[in-house]
Amino acid sequence: MEDLLSIEGFSVKYTTSSGTVTALDNVSLDLHPNELLAIVGESGCGKSTLGLSIIGLLPRSTATVSSGSVLYKSKDLVKLDSNKIREYRGTEIAMIFQEPLTSLSPVYKVGEQIAEAIMIRELRKKGHKVHSDLMQHTYTKQTQKISRLPRLSRKIPTDLKNEVIDYLKLVRIADAEQVLDRYPFELSGGMTQRVMIAMALSQEPALLIADEPTTALDVTTQAQVLKLMKELMHKVETSILLVTHDLAVASQVADRVIVMYAGEIAENADVYSLFSKPLHPYTSGLLACVPTGYKDTEELTPIAGTIPDLRNPPTGCKFAPRCPRAMDVCTTTRPHLTSQEDNRSVSCFLYE
Amino acid sequence: MKQNAQGTSDPTPFDRVLTMFKKTPESIVGFFVVVLFILTGIIVTIFDLLGIRVTPYNPIQQNVGVALSGPSWDHLFGCDFLGRDVFSRVIASVPNDVAVSFSVVFVAIIVGALLGSLAGFKGGLLDELLMRFTDVIFSLPVLVIAMVIAVALGPGLTHMMIAMIVIWWPPYARMARGESLRVAHQNFIEAAKFAGQRTLGILFKHVLPNISITMLVYATLDVGTVILVYAGLSYLGLSVRPPLPDLGEMISNSQDYLITAPWLPIIPGIVIAVIVIGFSVLGDGIRDALEAR
Amino acid sequence: MSSETILSTENVTKYFPVRKGLNPFSKEKRFIRAVDGVSITIRKGMTVAVVGESGCGKTTLARTVALMTPPTGGKIVFSGRDISSGRIDRTELYKEMQMVFQDPESSLDPRMKVGQSIAEPLRGLMSWKKDEIDEAVKRSLKAVGLSEDYAQRLPRQLSGGQKQRVAIARAISTQPSLVILDEPTSALDASVQAQILKLLLDLQKEFKLSYMLITHNIAVAQYMSDYIAVMYAGNVVEYGPTKTVITKPRHPYTIALISSAPIPDPTKKNLLQVEIKGEVPSAITPPPGCRFNPRCPYAESFCSEQNPALEEISPQRFVACHFVQKTA
Repeated sequence: MEDLLSIEGFSVKYTTSSGTVTALDNVSLDLHPNELLAIVGESGCGKSTLGLSIIGLLPRSTATVSSGSVLYKSKDLVKLDSNKIREYRGTEIAMIFQEPLTSLSPVYKVGEQIAEAIMIRELRKKGHKVHSDLMQHTYTKQTQKISRLPRLSRKIPTDLKNEVIDYLKLVRIADAEQVLDRYPFELSGGMTQRVMIAMALSQEPALLIADEPTTALDVTTQAQVLKLMKELMHKVETSILLVTHDLAVASQVADRVIVMYAGEIAENADVYSLFSKPLHPYTSGLLACVPTGYKDTEELTPIAGTIPDLRNPPTGCKFAPRCPRAMDVCTTTRPHLTSQEDNRSVSCFLYE
Repeated sequence: MKQNAQGTSDPTPFDRVLTMFKKTPESIVGFFVVVLFILTGIIVTIFDLLGIRVTPYNPIQQNVGVALSGPSWDHLFGCDFLGRDVFSRVIASVPNDVAVSFSVVFVAIIVGALLGSLAGFKGGLLDELLMRFTDVIFSLPVLVIAMVIAVALGPGLTHMMIAMIVIWWPPYARMARGESLRVAHQNFIEAAKFAGQRTLGILFKHVLPNISITMLVYATLDVGTVILVYAGLSYLGLSVRPPLPDLGEMISNSQDYLITAPWLPIIPGIVIAVIVIGFSVLGDGIRDALEAR
Repeated sequence: MSSETILSTENVTKYFPVRKGLNPFSKEKRFIRAVDGVSITIRKGMTVAVVGESGCGKTTLARTVALMTPPTGGKIVFSGRDISSGRIDRTELYKEMQMVFQDPESSLDPRMKVGQSIAEPLRGLMSWKKDEIDEAVKRSLKAVGLSEDYAQRLPRQLSGGQKQRVAIARAISTQPSLVILDEPTSALDASVQAQILKLLLDLQKEFKLSYMLITHNIAVAQYMSDYIAVMYAGNVVEYGPTKTVITKPRHPYTIALISSAPIPDPTKKNLLQVEIKGEVPSAITPPPGCRFNPRCPYAESFCSEQNPALEEISPQRFVACHFVQKTA
């Protein structure tokens, strides 16, 4: 099975007024077609940076890719300039983010935006180079276009309208006909997120990058949206890269989980192996932190210490200062991601 | 240097000033102009009170023999049509500007901060009333008010100060209101209520300290504007009357000599410009330095 | 756990008036019924978790109980005193009732030193001398696991978890009997959350505190509380001992809510079995009858006629559902 996405030795640095922060340190991973890969970690671990950097959404003024490659269908996305990458972004590689309202245009109705997304896809299929601001994230400041879509009149063409309704129904939006005519701010958080998913999927993307898509949603809405993403994944043959801080969410929907810490990959395993037999002490520490029982029967064991300063990371393993099983070698040498049995890998001297 | 959460050091205020100078080099010039301006004002006033003359010549002493003479080593800025040394007059008029600009801005900040933060924090009817009152005052043109006061009370420095104070505070009130709206939603304000604080206590202990920086930055830039407007009033003859020196008035009284003795109207104008630009540039530097954080 | 009741509310309501249209003088008023008749009891040393999703009214309930906003109706009794009229000496009240807020970043005045923030309730509510206050600040810092020198630091020198500890230190400095925790760990990372939850439990044991825990996180509520009250659209729809509510939920909304909470176990894919449709109803015009009936898989005709009251269906178990009540 050829990998859809193959990231090799990828490092990203941010320059700040107080020093250079190594946000990603030698990250390598593979994503297969039709797979849901969850990248899990706490704040500052680099998971969002990873998601954004794949399609070149890092702020250009402060972030630099210092090494490595991101091969999408064997093409190195890192080497592409900003114009070329826009051909992939929002089309073959779709994104959804935490705040759906900032990704949708407030001045166009929902139906019009989905229709425009469909038009983009059709033009693309015919071989035109297209991109519009619609499917780009608000982080981007550039507005150069290769080809401009015709301005939408207030009425959606009938043939498109049916497809728009189909997509709305696909994402389980009741009253699709009414929602067509609404503006994004009129909808609830859960609905706008579903509209985002509809727009992303209308591109028939090979890869969907979802950065904390349900964090801002209520628990019941989150369940609906995650369930939907999982169902659609198989229907539309898309792989999903799900970035989340929530281990429990990852356990529910992911096929494979990568745990990140301080810019590095600590562990990479299929979801069942990771949860039943976590190898890296950070992973087991994280699992022990999540409350699953009652206070009189369960002992929550927090991980001692705090995340390291990424401007001045410790020598050796970045987790060593907090690791209950740290050995001497851990404080002097950096561990590397080594393959283990069962198709998993871990970056820890306990297993080298 | 203090330790911060990451364990690295936090810059002291001194470091921050140096950073500002590095980031916006022109602010160094502004800084020196402002310091010179304030020091001159203070020194001249003190020595004046002690009865000692600090300027090379007596600013109001006429000496018809050197009337309309150009800049020379003897008279750095030349002499006016009555033979008075322009340099001495310029130095002697600095205290006026220092007094007016600082007192107007000072009162404006205080009045504006109090009214604005109260309006923003309490909201509701009080907010509406205070803001509409602010709007009314804001719509009054400074010139008209100055002239009315000049007619009613006569011209003069203090009267012009009053005229400007009366209408200068609305922008500060607006700013304070906006800032306190931002602060009012913060949890520590709620926590203060749990600590038994009432409105006034919260305003003084929590709201005002947190909005002061924005206002002070604006104030720095504003001082220059006050000086400029005051120069205009003085030019119109509403402030200090001759023979006492005042920059604006010096311009208006010598504008007839623009061709024959151009230094007479131009030099006071340049002095005003330098002071205003000095404040402006310093204010820019402060704002840039703070924004970066 | 003693039987002394620290807090009890009887049918507390909190309505916010909303003007219909643009006419400022219009007599027509509508109300956001944020809290629409809630009765809960918290006994000494006990934690009652109020769980629900956004818009259910749990935060408004907390603020109303703390008299941050006056209740529209109903009764609030704190330590035996009726405080519902709002015409009460807050100084006395807040000595015994304190709150920890959700966002640690905005909980502390950025211009005040940590020690000053912790001392603020002491200075405002107690008439202690300076050295007594300083000692109390040191004790509070120690209790939350921070060293004395933290008193001199500014908030921006602290991490999110440390800021929350300071907020907790401030809340317990007056040795209150009830601490309202409004989503105390929602803004924190998992490992920090575990530290704070453990700290809260330790403090509860040490100082015999009662907690009113507002949260949308079922796992946290399950772990921390003795009783759970589930809120939906301004009403408490289910109330009972934590273990029972979690393992045997009765109200259809509770069932949906608990099954929506992701369990960190890939062999138990509870999330993918959830079936709940629709959205949270408008707080101004709630659906007629039971607020949940438009989304309820068990809804019958009588459900849209009358809003069910919270009834005790078995000892200490309260459910507000016609269906459940009829079959109890």
